[in-house]
Amino acid sequence: MNDDDLVFRALADPTRRLLLDRLFERDGRTLTELESEIEMTRFGVMKHLRILEEAGLVVSRKAGRNRLHYLNPVPIRLIHDRWIDKYTEHRVSALAELKTQLEETA
Amino acid sequence: MTTITDVQTTQVYQLFIKATPEQIWEAIINPEFTQKYFYASRIEFADGRRRSFGPNGELWGDEAILEQDPPRKLVHEWRSLYDPEVAEEPASRVTWEIEPGEDGASLLTVVHDRLEGAPKTAAGVAGVGWMRVLSGLKTLLETGEPLA
Repeated sequence: MNDDDLVFRALADPTRRLLLDRLFERDGRTLTELESEIEMTRFGVMKHLRILEEAGLVVSRKAGRNRLHYLNPVPIRLIHDRWIDKYTEHRVSALAELKTQLEETA
Repeated sequence: MTTITDVQTTQVYQLFIKATPEQIWEAIINPEFTQKYFYASRIEFADGRRRSFGPNGELWGDEAILEQDPPRKLVHEWRSLYDPEVAEEPASRVTWEIEPGEDGASLLTVVHDRLEGAPKTAAGVAGVGWMRVLSGLKTLLETGEPLA
């Protein structure tokens, strides 16, 4: 699986998107904090966090005795740069072409 | 809703770049490189200071280098001077960590913290702010071309 596959796979799950949303609201949280906001076992949350970490969407760092989890927005940005821009630009240029054609025939 | 007070006081950005730690280090400290991905600014590391200059030579930043261990770790203060409101805020801190990885890719981690007293700075660099820089750095190192 390449990097993009890992990101898309990680995002294709509502619990993992919920975890990302929680981190977006407040970053740098412990597993215990995240677990308390989601109706799921500690093991389940750990499993989802591991998939998010493998995809690079969550980065965990040690802070004293705690391990804090941070949202890493870079992989989504890279997909945006590589994929979304490509298609939206195409659509914009297609519309521009249509406008030119319509105006020429008018 | 995201307001300035919601902005995180520690921001973490991480990405793989297909380049050696030495190449990434060079791209961070060499103004010829930084002007191609860091908002067109020339950034100079000299005499214990990190100074950045805008396209017309205006001073955008003059910060202390707190730690440097080439090509693995670089820590410096962060205080933007180009906006007077932001310039009034106390300095925050940026840490660059570069780890060599497998198959020629290195892992770059940027941590921007100590933002507690600098909400305007935090909002300014959050999300797209740092991501444009890092996405541009990756593209430059991997393709030799600046991000369009």
